[in-house]
Amino acid sequence: MAYKVPEAPRMTVREKAYFPEAVRGVAITAKHFFDNIFGRRDPNPNVLERKGLSRVSTVQYPEEKIPYPVGYRGLHRLVPRDDGRPRCVACYMCATVCPAQCITIEAGEYPVDSERESAVIEKYPTKFVIDELRCIVCGFCVEACPKDAIRMDTGLHTPSGYARSSFVWDAPKLLKGPAVSHPSDPWNKRASSAAPVVHKEAHTRVGEGHESHEPKHG
Amino acid sequence: MRLRWGVILFTLLGFPALFFALTLLCYLAAAGCESALHSLAGISGGGAIINSVTLMVVIVLTFGGLLTIGDRKWGSAIQDRIGPNRANLGPITLAGIPHFLADALKMLTKEDFLPERANRFIFGLAPAAVFIPVVALFAVVPVAPQITLLGEKVALQVASPDFGMLYIFALASLAVYGTTLAGWSSNNKLAILGGVRASSQMISYEVALGLSVIGTMMAYSTVKLDTMTNAQATWLWGGNGAFDIGIPAWGIFLQPFGFLLFFAAAFAESKRPPFDMPEGESEIVGYFVEYSGMRFGLFMISEYIEVVVLSGVLAAVFLGGYHLPFGERFLGGYIGSFWLAVVQGMTFWLKVLFLSWLQLVVRWTFPRFRYDQVMKLGWRILLPAGLVNVFLTGALLLLDPSLKLLALVGFAEIIIMLAMVAKPSEGAQPAPAPAHGHDHGHAPAH
Repeated sequence: MAYKVPEAPRMTVREKAYFPEAVRGVAITAKHFFDNIFGRRDPNPNVLERKGLSRVSTVQYPEEKIPYPVGYRGLHRLVPRDDGRPRCVACYMCATVCPAQCITIEAGEYPVDSERESAVIEKYPTKFVIDELRCIVCGFCVEACPKDAIRMDTGLHTPSGYARSSFVWDAPKLLKGPAVSHPSDPWNKRASSAAPVVHKEAHTRVGEGHESHEPKHG
Repeated sequence: MRLRWGVILFTLLGFPALFFALTLLCYLAAAGCESALHSLAGISGGGAIINSVTLMVVIVLTFGGLLTIGDRKWGSAIQDRIGPNRANLGPITLAGIPHFLADALKMLTKEDFLPERANRFIFGLAPAAVFIPVVALFAVVPVAPQITLLGEKVALQVASPDFGMLYIFALASLAVYGTTLAGWSSNNKLAILGGVRASSQMISYEVALGLSVIGTMMAYSTVKLDTMTNAQATWLWGGNGAFDIGIPAWGIFLQPFGFLLFFAAAFAESKRPPFDMPEGESEIVGYFVEYSGMRFGLFMISEYIEVVVLSGVLAAVFLGGYHLPFGERFLGGYIGSFWLAVVQGMTFWLKVLFLSWLQLVVRWTFPRFRYDQVMKLGWRILLPAGLVNVFLTGALLLLDPSLKLLALVGFAEIIIMLAMVAKPSEGAQPAPAPAHGHDHGHAPAH
């Protein structure tokens, strides 16, 4: 009851003899062997443009990295103000929209006697935690944020860690990158109709300058 | 062109130097022990004892162990990969060679698992029953010739019994008991399938294995491997000048077809891919599915040792053993018989290295055969071909006992094989279906 395998109709007699083509196959294998054993591997991360005898297409990852495409956004960050504090006003929009429920916010209130802060904004996050193991990097929080306080423009991916607790990132760890301020920010409201002060470029991405700015407001 | 000159230099100089030193040390150890035993206790045989340690335990086991990492690295080179290269001894990575030490360490420290309701005694016996015959196979393989050193006659061969090749057949088929018993004693359906496959494959290929080498036995009128090797040092044609070069009576010239048959049959006997039906890790995991730790390691390493032993037998029977292809007498006149013997031992190991490499390349070229294909190859192709080879060789030897006619027919066979391998040009091919008639991916990649 053996299954009768249909013979490939395109094989010639020479191919059916098996031995000649088998030897040719061994020759191909041996050619690859000698090319790759004796040829030095080109470490060019762009594998298709590698040159030389070796055909090895491996990228030795931690030592060699393929550059990310320019459209890659990467890990989120909390956007700082010019004074280094987060732009976040603890409105809970991101935590609400997050499908993975990985954002935990606890809101705090600026003291009323504070001159500068409570005059323009009332709330700030006393605790802003993102569980990076839960995050699915969907970007909904960025869309939801009304204050441009969370962005995904670092170009990094989550680094590895040895404990689950090392993936729970709090505000000091999330707060990085160039400061952003908009003309519409309440602390930038002009007192009069005089010419506006020069503002930082609103669409500053990480790595596009403005990294070493002087904090203006202290 | 950027080349790895270190690797090239090691291949050209390192391997010969390594094998030269190994042979020298083996000779010195054997002669020293032989003469020490002779003078102290008045008995001979010390050389054989030392040989069984140095050749069988040290060299063959190390060779086999290194072939495990060689298999991985060479296989990765064949598949355009780098292969394992992370294990290191501090800053020394040695191209991944420490991986074989790491593997051994891992296997030795793993849990030794015994399946429920397995036969404890046979389960423990089976790995040794595979391993020991395979290592013992090397006892009759002549590594280097007999010379007189320290007043004693020493040869780098553990034993030279009159039954030579028959010993190899006997022990090679003994190894299958371990495989089958491992499959049976594991109390596992897949394991016993693997064991049954192993035994049926062994029965099929034992016959072809024996038949394929009978032609060589007839040609040299012996079954002793060392006598066979020395018979290959004679010249068929030429070899008379000051620098002796000619056509030696090597087995591959007399029996090219027998060489192919023996290679295929022995490959199947060693259960390595593409004949790894008993293992078949993608269908049944094989006869050692229940084994863990070093018990599994014994199965694995005995496969690689079988590669080394098979290479040794092939070299001794078909490739002139430890004899150089030419210039042996010329070289011996300059450096003396002792150093010539060391060079000959080096030659033998180089041949073994080449044949082991060839087996690994074959292993990485072919996909596993289907079971019915394996049986068909054994019974319907190798067995009749071996019979034809035996009758043809016998007739040619009756016509011309000087082996010359046999060699002429052998050359004709080689030329026919080469002509078959050389691909006919596109125009000369009849090409029944122009769209897909030929070129099933034979064009060199890139």
